[in-house]
Amino acid sequence: MTTTDTAAASDSSPTALEEAVTSTDPTTLSKVWGFGSGALILLGSIAGLLVGLERLDLGSANVFDGADGMFQFWSAHRVALVLLGVLPGLMALATTIVPRQCGGSLMFPRAAALGCWIWLIGAGMTLVGFLADGGLGTPGGGGQRQATALTVMGLLLVIAGLLVASVSVMTTIVSGRAAGTGLRDLSFTAWTTLVAATIWTGMLPVLAANAVLAYVDLRGRPAIRFGAEDAIWEQLSWMFTHPAIYVLALPVLGIALDVVATTTRTVQANRDFLLVATVAFGFLSFGAFAQTFFDTPGTPIREEALSVVAAFAIVPVALAILGGLADTLRRGGSNLGSKPPAETVLLILAALLVVAGTAVGALHVIAPLDLLDTAVGGANFTFVVGAGILGVGAGLHHWVDELTGPEGHRDGLILLGGLAIASGIVLSGMTDLISGLLDQTDFTGVTLAAAGNPKSGVDALNLVSMIGSFAVVGGLATWMLAGGLVTAANRTSGGGERGGS
Amino acid sequence: MGTTVPTAPTRPRTLVVASAFGTGSVIMYFGGLFALYFSIRADALAWGTQWYPEGAIQLVPGGMNMATMAMSAITMGWAVHSVLNDDRVHLMIAMALTAVLGIAMVNQTVFYFVDIGLPIDTSEAATLLFTIVGSHLVMVAIGVLWLGMLLLRTLGGQDTSRHRDLVSAAALYWYAAVAVYSVIWIGIYIAK
Repeated sequence: MTTTDTAAASDSSPTALEEAVTSTDPTTLSKVWGFGSGALILLGSIAGLLVGLERLDLGSANVFDGADGMFQFWSAHRVALVLLGVLPGLMALATTIVPRQCGGSLMFPRAAALGCWIWLIGAGMTLVGFLADGGLGTPGGGGQRQATALTVMGLLLVIAGLLVASVSVMTTIVSGRAAGTGLRDLSFTAWTTLVAATIWTGMLPVLAANAVLAYVDLRGRPAIRFGAEDAIWEQLSWMFTHPAIYVLALPVLGIALDVVATTTRTVQANRDFLLVATVAFGFLSFGAFAQTFFDTPGTPIREEALSVVAAFAIVPVALAILGGLADTLRRGGSNLGSKPPAETVLLILAALLVVAGTAVGALHVIAPLDLLDTAVGGANFTFVVGAGILGVGAGLHHWVDELTGPEGHRDGLILLGGLAIASGIVLSGMTDLISGLLDQTDFTGVTLAAAGNPKSGVDALNLVSMIGSFAVVGGLATWMLAGGLVTAANRTSGGGERGGS
Repeated sequence: MGTTVPTAPTRPRTLVVASAFGTGSVIMYFGGLFALYFSIRADALAWGTQWYPEGAIQLVPGGMNMATMAMSAITMGWAVHSVLNDDRVHLMIAMALTAVLGIAMVNQTVFYFVDIGLPIDTSEAATLLFTIVGSHLVMVAIGVLWLGMLLLRTLGGQDTSRHRDLVSAAALYWYAAVAVYSVIWIGIYIAK
């Protein structure tokens, strides 16, 4: 090598993009997970807002060109919030904070980086598939088949990425924690992440099996059954309803237990009981069995004893975990002072939303009320996934020093955005709950008839729900702004520069 | 006072643990497909619908493949035993044999499915059959690639009794592939 070569090599320091793409540093990966999931939650919420706008006047199609277009955005909203949003957001914490809580470093960082980028590429493909008139099928069969295939393929990549990252995180907790640290000694965040990741690695492959079957049937010829345009969503929809969505809330409860104990400077009491309760919560979140598309005629799975008992059993479990949180607050609440930290406020709200969501889920399965296809299901989704969004944001804020650096904290913006999101979730969730009790269907289509009972008078409720969606979008935009400002402040000051690769 | 001999530090078997989690995911994937297959099949039979056309699924190819996979499980066990005993030659022979048996299984299945006379778009049963068996072929192919890379490592002298985790991890995955095939054999080829 010549002197000139050496000088040229030393001058070519990597750009931020090169650094991000080639890095296996968990902190860098967490930024990709965090900002990627944040942007996709925002896009998913905007899709939900557009659907809400259309619902304001069900007599005509003002925003979309018909029921198929509205369905694509409605389903995109759910997919974006669960698989492209909250779950990857939790992965941002799982790849960075959890290994440190275990006293070790992330196992298989290259695999974790691979998982992160596979997820991001898959998320991009899924997004493009939805925007190109594809999505996960349409009730009228009016979508583009190639775009639908692209969406399904994108979803498979998303699942693969999340699974690879989950295996890395689980191995870190099980096998990579510091010597002498037992599983019972783990922090609640690490413990609930382990339980939730175990459930994810049980459910996501089943979702992949559904998607592969749909893809095989979709490609190249008229579909037999599984790849039919009007059948794909129903095969995959179990992932976006209870009990499967409860697993998103589990790490949020763990984060809440840890953060409240830290900010109140109080040791969590009844620790073993809470460890068992969180495992029970995870166990009751396993939802791969509840596939309505494959119901045997006459015995719908959602009316089977297993589904009903699970939907009711999770309520006292959630209440028990909330009780643990309340006990810590009772004993250490005075340490919070007159201005409690934003993350503590938001995580308490998130825990309350989880309990509300499980209660709505139990209401949803009461057979005499006949609510299974109504907007009560949407309300359950809004409460639980909304709690997930709040929990992820609060968790990222709590550990912001370790994720981005110590400079430029935006506590006020985080609290403002979080309160806007929480109030939006409550508004949307409550109005959807009442609309559902008045017979409005979960997916309303663009006609009064499809909305359920035409005389149910849900117009005003739909307006309030849409205002709630506006609040959520506004809160999320505020959070993204705060996250960008903190990252920029630390990049400028060098606070975000960390060793390791 | 006796001499205290420090014990060798126990290494956390991260590769085996990760392989167990990954293999568990793969098993859940097939569990999902099998659940759909048997559920839809039971409904079809309950309604008196024909599942596969008479004579479409033959027992011999499935049985031959099962025998091949069973033999590969034995050779994989031989590989694990060899690495535990630092027997490099036997390790290489055992892994090569396992890989060859895997390739033979893929070859037999592809030959049979080209010849089966049951196009993928004839029925739900055919779509499920091709999806399940095709997914298993991918699983076996990944296993064969893994074994190929392990062979290269062994040639370089990197797989020893102290560094045996990759062999153990591959064995775990391979046994899962054999177990999945045994369900395919009983549930699809025998029960039809």
